[in-house]
Parts: sequence; structure tokens; C-alpha cells
Amino acid sequence: MQTMETMEWVRGSLDHCVKCTICETACPVSNVTPLFPGPKYVGPQAERFRTAEGSPDASLDYCSGCGICTTVCPQGVKIAEINAKARAVMKAEHGVPLRDRIIARSGLTGKIGTPVAPIANWFLANPVFRRLLERTLRIHRDAPVPRFAGRTFQSWARRHRPPAAPTKAVVYFHGCSTNYYEPRLGEMTVAVLEHNGFRVLVPRGQECCGLPLQSNGLLDDARRYVKKLAETLVPYARRGYDIVATSTSCGLMLKREAMEMLDLEDDEVLRTVSAHTYDICEFLVELHERDELRTDFNPLPITVPYHAPCQQAGHWMGKPALELFALIPELRVEESDADCCGIAGTYGLKAEKYDISMAVGAPLFRQVQEARSELAACDSETCRWQIAKATGVPSVHPIEVLYRSYGLGG
Amino acid sequence: MSTDVVVIGAGLSGLTAAVRLAEEGRRTVLLAQGVGSTHLAPACIDVLGYAPDLVESPAKAVPALVAEHPEHPYARVAPETLAASVAWLRERADGLGYTGSLEENLLVPTAVGVPKPTAIVPEAMAAGDLRSGGRFVFVGLRALKNFYPAYLAENLSQVKLPSGATLEARAVRLSDPGREADVGPLDYARAFEDPVFRRAVTDELRLNLQPGEIVGFPAVLGLDEHEAVLKELRDALERPVFEVSSLPPSVPGIRLFRTLRAAFRRVGGRLVIGPTATGAKSGDGRVEALVVQSAAHRTTTYEAGSFVLATGGFAAGAILLDSFGEVRETVFGLPVSGVPPTDEPRFLPGYLDDHPMARAGLAVDGRLRPTDADGHPVYENLYAVGAMLHGAEPWREQSGNGLALATGFAAAAQILEEAS
Amino acid sequence: MTNIQTEVLVIGGGSTGLGVARDTAMRGFSTVLVDRGDLATGTTGRFHGLLHSGGRYVVKDPKAAEECIHENRILREIAADCIEDTGGLFVTTPVDDPMYADRFAEACRAVDVPVEEIPVAAALRREPRLNPRISRAFTVPDAHIDSWKTVWACARSAEAYGARILPYHEVLRLVVEDGAVKGAVALDHRGGEEVEIGADIVVNASGAWAGRIAAMAGCEVTVFPGKGIMVAMNHRLVNTVVNRCSMPSDGDIIVPARAVSIIGTTDVKVADPDEWEITREEVQKMLDAGENLVPGFRQARALRVWGGVRPLYQEKAEADTRDVTRAHALLNHRTRDGVERFLTITGGKFCTFRLMAEETVDALCGELGVERPCRTAEERLPDSEDKRYYWLGARVAQREETLHDDQLICECEFISRSDLEVALRRRGTVNLDDIRRSIRLGMGPCQGGFCIYRTAGILHEIQKTSSVVANRALLDFVQERWKGVQPVLYGDQLRQARFDEWIFQGILDVGHLPGDEVRSATVEATSS
Repeated sequence: MQTMETMEWVRGSLDHCVKCTICETACPVSNVTPLFPGPKYVGPQAERFRTAEGSPDASLDYCSGCGICTTVCPQGVKIAEINAKARAVMKAEHGVPLRDRIIARSGLTGKIGTPVAPIANWFLANPVFRRLLERTLRIHRDAPVPRFAGRTFQSWARRHRPPAAPTKAVVYFHGCSTNYYEPRLGEMTVAVLEHNGFRVLVPRGQECCGLPLQSNGLLDDARRYVKKLAETLVPYARRGYDIVATSTSCGLMLKREAMEMLDLEDDEVLRTVSAHTYDICEFLVELHERDELRTDFNPLPITVPYHAPCQQAGHWMGKPALELFALIPELRVEESDADCCGIAGTYGLKAEKYDISMAVGAPLFRQVQEARSELAACDSETCRWQIAKATGVPSVHPIEVLYRSYGLGG
Repeated sequence: MSTDVVVIGAGLSGLTAAVRLAEEGRRTVLLAQGVGSTHLAPACIDVLGYAPDLVESPAKAVPALVAEHPEHPYARVAPETLAASVAWLRERADGLGYTGSLEENLLVPTAVGVPKPTAIVPEAMAAGDLRSGGRFVFVGLRALKNFYPAYLAENLSQVKLPSGATLEARAVRLSDPGREADVGPLDYARAFEDPVFRRAVTDELRLNLQPGEIVGFPAVLGLDEHEAVLKELRDALERPVFEVSSLPPSVPGIRLFRTLRAAFRRVGGRLVIGPTATGAKSGDGRVEALVVQSAAHRTTTYEAGSFVLATGGFAAGAILLDSFGEVRETVFGLPVSGVPPTDEPRFLPGYLDDHPMARAGLAVDGRLRPTDADGHPVYENLYAVGAMLHGAEPWREQSGNGLALATGFAAAAQILEEAS
Repeated sequence: MTNIQTEVLVIGGGSTGLGVARDTAMRGFSTVLVDRGDLATGTTGRFHGLLHSGGRYVVKDPKAAEECIHENRILREIAADCIEDTGGLFVTTPVDDPMYADRFAEACRAVDVPVEEIPVAAALRREPRLNPRISRAFTVPDAHIDSWKTVWACARSAEAYGARILPYHEVLRLVVEDGAVKGAVALDHRGGEEVEIGADIVVNASGAWAGRIAAMAGCEVTVFPGKGIMVAMNHRLVNTVVNRCSMPSDGDIIVPARAVSIIGTTDVKVADPDEWEITREEVQKMLDAGENLVPGFRQARALRVWGGVRPLYQEKAEADTRDVTRAHALLNHRTRDGVERFLTITGGKFCTFRLMAEETVDALCGELGVERPCRTAEERLPDSEDKRYYWLGARVAQREETLHDDQLICECEFISRSDLEVALRRRGTVNLDDIRRSIRLGMGPCQGGFCIYRTAGILHEIQKTSSVVANRALLDFVQERWKGVQPVLYGDQLRQARFDEWIFQGILDVGHLPGDEVRSATVEATSS
């Protein structure tokens, strides 16, 4: 049974709010559009006026769920979490549109699209089809959608032969995007870890973590997915293996969001998985702290604009990628001051929010373009797609920069 | 992980300590549960405004205050250190053009029209110095609910200046066309960065100004392009222009935060926003590591040679009073001084009374290390700075940012000295 | 001196007085009502807002319970806009006598209080923060009623029937001639002059202050003020009224009232209805009681504490006429003291105010030798015409509609600039506490930290007051807010108070506003 303490973990945190406005100064959405009255308004303020019957404030729907408000709040108010829960109740009341049900199932779309990748990619790149998609499903015609790789990371991992005699092992939680859209990222991650002496375990049957479902208000489905994923990973965690994630937001889901937003604070399986979950860069920095990271980096004489995604701020770990980049000779990194790229998972795909999403990302896009670099780096996949689409600059995970510098590409 | 220094708290005191240490080559991690005081308070450095009468010269008044209140945190900061901290900030934040001195307080108008004593102000506030009187016009923006220029001006025009100079004040309200009725300070700051908006403002204002009038705006004159905005307004209006601070959020404070964050970044500091420090590992009278709650279901430890606690006072939740009347500092469980016993009143019925608990906080030794009941440092390598210190009433005496800057700077100096 | 002539003069602007004034006005009497302060500032505006089902009294005082459920049904019919239909629960907590529950259920049935026992699990599903160790749970038709709205709605209704409602008119003396009360002389505190009100009959509805008014006609009426304190918690810990299923005692109820939840109350006799304080022990007692009902209560944020004084009527001798029920006292001073044209109505509780008024006006008709039927139970109050209950989200929903066209001034309570301007213009006051009771200004978590400055600026602008008047309004309201916060300054509310202090003293420097003797004036304001 839930105790008041865990039940009030999210809602009760509104008691700490002193109305100081710091969250408002940091909200990427309310800073570009008056349609969203801001995190304080829809969060600790409106929450006092909500009952089980739901939320009276429709403007809540404009929250992108980026989570920056919670991160910058000095008083410990779980603003984003309060908003997410209220949004879910509101959606449940008004019904979740078909569009949201589709984009919330990245695993399923991945599964369907992969065998027919060339056709699916052709359609998704076809302006006529995209206009149709916008009219029917309200997915914006210019919003970034990933290309199906036509193969899965899982199938590669099963064929992959690890190098002989590793001294230690780590579990890789690759997430849907690596599996279906960016298997190369998974391969590079394995290579970097193997280069550092790890055997990389890739548990089979890793399905969606439920985050897109959760952010689209489908809480019951999200709960089912994340519990299933946690069951897949927990045997490793129980044996003491660490779990690394390359997807910033899915990693965060396992670390805390599932527990906080889906009322699973007391779920032992999730707690155990969470306790062993690391963002890949966080993991590598900790290795380096223990002098266990190989630093045989080759010079990389390029300039890379780097954007730390907002979901990463929710990991409360600073910007570990920057510390790794600092180890690479001749690499020049331009750290972005921008808070958010605007995509916020699936937010920027939606026709009614696309313009807001682009306005949020505008300062970042400007910075990336002004850097006149051959590539940009960012930890989160949806942000990379957004940056690449908006700027035309290919955007990669920091692990790819390490991979190159280690000279692992052969 | 392990580093030279961990600073906890990213308000002005924590930022000051962290930047100082990092620029002297210390590997410094600045951990903070969110951002802090900078976003809320005006960016002026109030060193000492009331003691309790109006202070004309902080340089003279601080030693007198310290003599009378030996427990005051200023007693732990040498006058040279205070001066050095101010000089340092002026240099570090040169884009903000801090002016003023410790020798004499300026008087700048608050949003209700009280001439507030303060020592060092950003350039944008300097023209608002009221001491030698003058004719002031305060500009209202239609959709800004945190600024009421007519109220401000009427109060200000009743002020009797110590110098005897005359002061005239009036208000103008701009038509400021726009659809939205409720526009926040940051939105206005961004609007002022737009030349079209700025031109509309100056065109309308020019028709409403008399020769010799000085123009006060709410403190929303640009964020990242503030310097340019200020200069352009001055040029276009051909007269001094200044900003008046009001309710949070504070745009000038955000500028200061960004300036110091950039300085920290330049010298390789590591800023981690988000986690809550929950405790420490200690041994042999030293803090060995700080324990923070990770986003995952585990704790992370930060080992370091020195630790600076800059988590703020009661307002920041750094010191808690529980429903039974017990007081505790939340990270290290340090003793809190200046708290009357449970059965005695802590607060009095009049809002502006001298509340018995008003000065409660951490007592520190001459090196800013929190002390126990016997006056001995609790830990050899733990320093405390800013709003959490015992003995001051930072808001009533108008000393908040001054104390933050001076103690943050002084703690860094102690750590640097210790290592050398 | 101004002279006013009326048929009925009602003294006291609480629920009873307004109930009487509405009733007399509806029965066609010309009516004037006076109160020394604003309406509903005595006992009425200082209770937890429980619209009793009667459940609280079924065992101890079945007659009172019967009245409660009777009036509960009527108020739901005529004052829906003032009521949130939260429903109520009676729960047996670990400290309660387990035998009481059966007596309770039986007693409810005896006086027709609708009661239904539900499984503990169902009660916990409905109110998940409740103590999981409760052993029995019953539902009853308790609800929350907003006393300010009710009183103001009665005032508007009375005015529509021609009554004059005069707040800030303090009765200085009654005019007694030839053994009959002929009216009163009142001081208009705002106009600064005395007003003589001639009346055919005077109703003393001044509640806990009834003894003072009666004494002006030479009648001795003993009303003990019974102090009860309440603590408002920052958010709704429960969404249903939760009562301990036991004999009435201290801190046995939590009422979800608008955005807060209120725990109450105590009962301590005090000597003077104007002179009493809230002690640390009382506050601690409420927190312990809260902890029993909702574990973790002490970690939640207390917003404010306040007290009210119940009028506890005590008859001086058995021989006296007492045309009353046990719950309230209607005194006819002609039969009781030989003073004609003078009635006192006191005792009772908010929920039965309409009934008390009805009985009083029936007696009044008798004194005037007329027969006119009471219609207050049939006619709905203004804003309640469509019989729709108040909904917690109403304000936010309303705000959503004007999101882009109006400013949000009091963010905690979702009060827009136009709401505030309407209230300032309608009330024509510079007292922000009056505005607070009209629209709940400054009643949320920050207790005015942000809205007081804004309101002072707007007041200055639209009332065309001098800045010194606005300064006084600002400081008085800051002081008024402090008064209720100060005894519960711990945890998050202390955090807030220190933050507000930063705004008021650090940023605005209100301690040095121009005006006379700012400091001493605000301290004085505390004791008034």
C-alpha cells in the first residue's frame, strides 16, 4: 500500500512552492508563446484547484514536458511531474487522439516499418504523403521523423562476436530508436565499451520504456510497458551489473520518471533497475574518475556545437559529455546556451505545436548554424533529428565523437 | 567522484566562491538544487543600508555594526576582503558596468518609491541615484503587472533627501500596443531586444519628455543584449536612462547569473543543477564526501578537499523549522544559532517588529567554518556563506548581496590560502 | 447627524443578522442592518465552512441534528452557488471508541440524517491520505459552504427587497423611550459621523456581542464567547469532509474548503469576544489531531491559523422566558425584561441561520401584530438561481477564458485585474482585507507576497487615492496576513514568510515608505 509520503511525493511537493517565478524564467515554451501560461500556473498553482474530476485548465496541454522547471526549482517542487499527471488525467477525460496513440508507440511503428523500410522511408520523405498525414493525423508536414534503418540493432547484437577475454561486463539498454532507426549508434556504443574492456550484454526483448505513452497521457499503457522492460533488465541489476543507456529520455524514465509519474515509487523491480541505470556519458565519466577509461584518443581537429538536451538536465549530473570531449585532443566544443531544441519527444511533431517547437529551438538552431561545423552533438535522439532537420547539420550522439577519436571506425 | 572543492548552492555566494576557486585553478564542482537568489533579487550589491538608521557610508558603518554585533557575519570578513570582493565582481562582470563604492551609499528608488540605500549597482541602475535630486520620469508598460509608476512617483516626490536637494517625479504610461494583457518581465526584456519595439517606445516617449528629465524604466531592458539596448535607449532619448527593480523574477539578476555562469564555464568549472545534497561522509573532523540524491534510485558521492555550503537560509529551505519547533540545517545537520527556546516566542505579532528569530543561522569562526556550541569548527574543511549565516538580517538591513559576495569571496580565499 | 427611519433595525452583520434582514425585507418590512465592521467579520466569517449534515450532533444533541439536516436540505436548494457538494465521511480512527459507530448510525436514522456505512477500503480509495487504520466509515451529506458568499448573497437579496445594509456602522447607544426601544445611534466609521436610526422594532443579532447590545437597553444577557481555532492547510489533503466518528471533541474534523483543507476546532470559553489569543498548545493540539486523521499531516504545509468565538448563551435564571430550542436562543425582551420592541437572537450555528431568522421574524411579526409568511426557504439566493453547486475548478476555468485579455493579479487564488477592479469599485474601500473577503485576495500560499504590491498600485490608480493611503492599505494588509501566519510559522510557511520578507523589505523596502509613523501604525493594526 502506498504511504502518504510516496503518494504526496509529487502532489505534496507543491507545498514547497513559494511562487518565486524561477520556473517561469526557464520554461522554453512559455518563453515563446502566450498560449502556455507557464509551469507555475499549470503546476503548483492550478493543482490546488484540481480534484479527481480533472483539470479546469486546457492550456496545460501546451506543456512540452521537457522537465526544465523541476530541475531549476530551488525549492524541490516537482512541477513537471505535477503537470504530467494532470495532463494525463485531462487526456483520459477528453480522449487521446489517434495521432497521439500512434506516435506514442515507437516500438510498434519500428517493428512495422523495419521490414518495409525503403517504402516507409519513401513515404515519410514524400511531401504529398506528409501533407496528407498532416491533414488526417495532424502530424506536421515539416516535423522531423526518423528514417527506418531497415535492420535492427538487436539482430546485429546477436551476430556480434565480442573480443576475447573481457574483464568486466555491462548491460546496454538501447531503446527503440537505436534498435530501429540508429543501429549504428548501438554498434558504436558497444565498440566504445569493448574498447574499454567491457563485455556488453544486450538483453533480448527490450521493448519500449513507455515514455512516449506516458507523455501522451496513456498512463496505463506506459505502466505496462515500463514494468515489462524492468522485468527484462532486473535479473542483471540483481546480479550487480550496471545498465547504460544512450537514450537520454528513456534512461531518465528508468531512473526516476516512471516511478514518479506513474505512481510506481514503491515498485521494487523498478527501484532495483533504477539504482543500476546510468547515462552512457555519465558512466564513462565515472570510469574516468576511477582512472579506468582509456584515454588513447586521437586528435579530432573539428569544432562541434554541443547541445545538452533538457531531459539530460533531469539526470542531475551536469554535462558529462563535455568532460569526455575535454579528453579529446584538438576538439573544439561550443557549448550551447539554449535550453531546449523544441521537440520534447513527440511534442514538435504535432501540427498544432510545430510552430512553438520551432520557436523554442530557434536560438539553438542559430548557434548550430553559426558554428559552420560539419556536425553537431547532442545526447538525445529526437533532439538530434530536430536539430538536423532544422539546420541541415548532421547531429550525432557524443559517443560517436568518442568512437571516431578512439579510431574505432577502422 | 572526486575533485578539489565542492560548492553547494548557486546563489550569489555560491557562484562567487565557485568562480573564484575555479579561476585559481581549483577543480570545482558547483552543485545546486535549482538556481537561486540571483533570479529573484535586484542585482545591486547592498552592503549595508540600515543600521538601523540610514547608512551613508558602508565603509564606516560596517566596523561600527561589527563592534555592536560581534556575531554579525561581517565580523568574519576583513574590510580589505570586502573591498576586494567588490573589486573582483566589478571586473568579472564588466559587461554589467558595476559602479559605486563602499565609501558612500547611493539611493535608488524601489518599485514603491522608497529611496533604497545600496553601495554598488549595475550601470543600468546608476542614473537612478536620487541623492542629488533631479527630475525623474517613470515609464509604465501596459501589460507589466509588477510596476506601477504613478504610485512610485507619488511616493518618491514626498521623499526628503538627506542632501536637501529637490526631487521631482512623475509617471508616463506607454500605450504599448499588443494583444496580450499579461506580459512578464522576461518577455518584455526580449521585446526590448527587438529594434521595432524599441523604436515604438522611444518615439512615443520623446513626445512626452521635458528637457532635463531622467527616465526610469522597469528593469526589463534586455537580457543578453542588455548593453546594446541600454545604450540605444540613452542615445535615442538623449538623456540618462535607468532601471528600477521590482517583484521577482529579476531580469538584472538573471544577467548577473549568466555572467557568472559564463565566467565559471570559462575557467573549467563544473556546474550540476538539480540534485539535492542529503548528507555527508566524514571522519577525523573533516568532511570526506558529500552525498547527493541521484536522479536514479541511488546516491552519488562527491569527494573533495574542501566544501562550501551556500544553500541559503530559511527562505531557501536550507534551514528548516519543523512543526514541533525543532530547527535543523538540512545537509550536514549543523547547529543553528539564534533560535529562542521552544517555549519562548520566535516571532512577534507586528510584522515590522524585531523578531527574536530574525537573526538565526549558522555561527561560523573567523575562517567562516560553522562552529559548535563551544565555538569550535564542526569540520575543518567545511565553510558556510551567504544567507544562512547567523547574526544578520539581510533584508531589513539591506545587506543581502553584500554579505553573499563578501562571504563567498572570503571562503574561497580561506580555501586558497589553506592549500598554498 | 443623519436620520434614518425604518420599520426594522437589525444589529449585527453576520449570518443571523443578514438572515433576519433578508427575511424582514422579503416580508415587506422596511429594514436597515448595521454592523460595526464589515459583513461576516465576527463569528460567521471565522468558521471552517462545514455545512453540517447533522451527523456531528446526532448522538449528543438530536434536536440540533434535526435542525441541521433540515436546513442542510434547504440551503442546498437556495444557496447552491455557496456550496461545494463534497459529501462527508465519519470514520472510526484508532483513538475513537469503537462502540460509538453503531450508536452513531442508529442515531442518524432516528433523526433522518442519510447515512450509509461503506467498506473501509472504499473510504480509503475515496480519500487515500486518510489514516489506513480506520475501522469503520459512514457517508453523510456534509458539504462545504462559503460563509462570506452566503452572507453577501443574503445582503444582495435583502437589498433587492429594499433593505439598507450599512457595514462599518457601530451602534453607540440604543434609543429607549417609554419602556420601548425606538432605534439606535450608530457611528459611521467611514463617513466619520453619527447616524440616528429610528425603528419600530430592533433585532439584536450580534452573536457573541449580544450581551453588550442588550445592556444598552438595560437588559442582561449572558453570552459566553467560546473560542475555536482552525488551521488551514495549503492544499486539499481530503476532498470530502472527514469527521471522527466519536463524541464531538477538539480537532475532530477536516473540511475541504475551496483550495485548502481546514482542521478544527477547539472550544474554550473566553472572557471577552474581542480579546483572546491563539496559543502554541492549541496549534499543537490541532496538528496532533490532523496527524491522527491524515498521517503525515505535520509535514504538510500549514497556511494560516485563525479563531472565532461562538456565542454560547446562558440563561440567568430558570424563571426566564426562553422561546428557544437548545441550539439557539430567541429572547423577547418584552416578556423577559419588560422592554418592548426589542428581540435578541443569539447562540446557534451558521447552518441554522435561516431557521433562526425565520423564528425571529415570526416573533417580530407577533410583536408588531401582523401575520406575514416566511418565504426564505423557497426563494433562491442571487447567483444560486440555477441551483448549480460551486465547483473547485471554476476560477481556473474562468481564468482560462480570459488568459490573453486580462492580468492575473493574485496568482494563488486566480484573481484577475478586472475581478479586482470590480471589487474595488463595488466596495469603494481602501481596506484590502474587505477586498480579500469579497474575492479571496491574498488567501493562497504566498499570503499576498506578490499581489499586495500589485493591488496597492492598482488601488492607487483606480481609486485615485493618495500614495500615502495606498501605503497604509499595503502595510495594513501585510500586517493582517502576518497575524494569521505568525502562529504557524514552521516548515514551508516559514520558507514563504522569509521569502515574502525579502520582497517587502529587501526589494521594496516597505519599512521606509512615506507616511506617518509606519512602524507603530502597523503594530496597532494587529490588536484592533
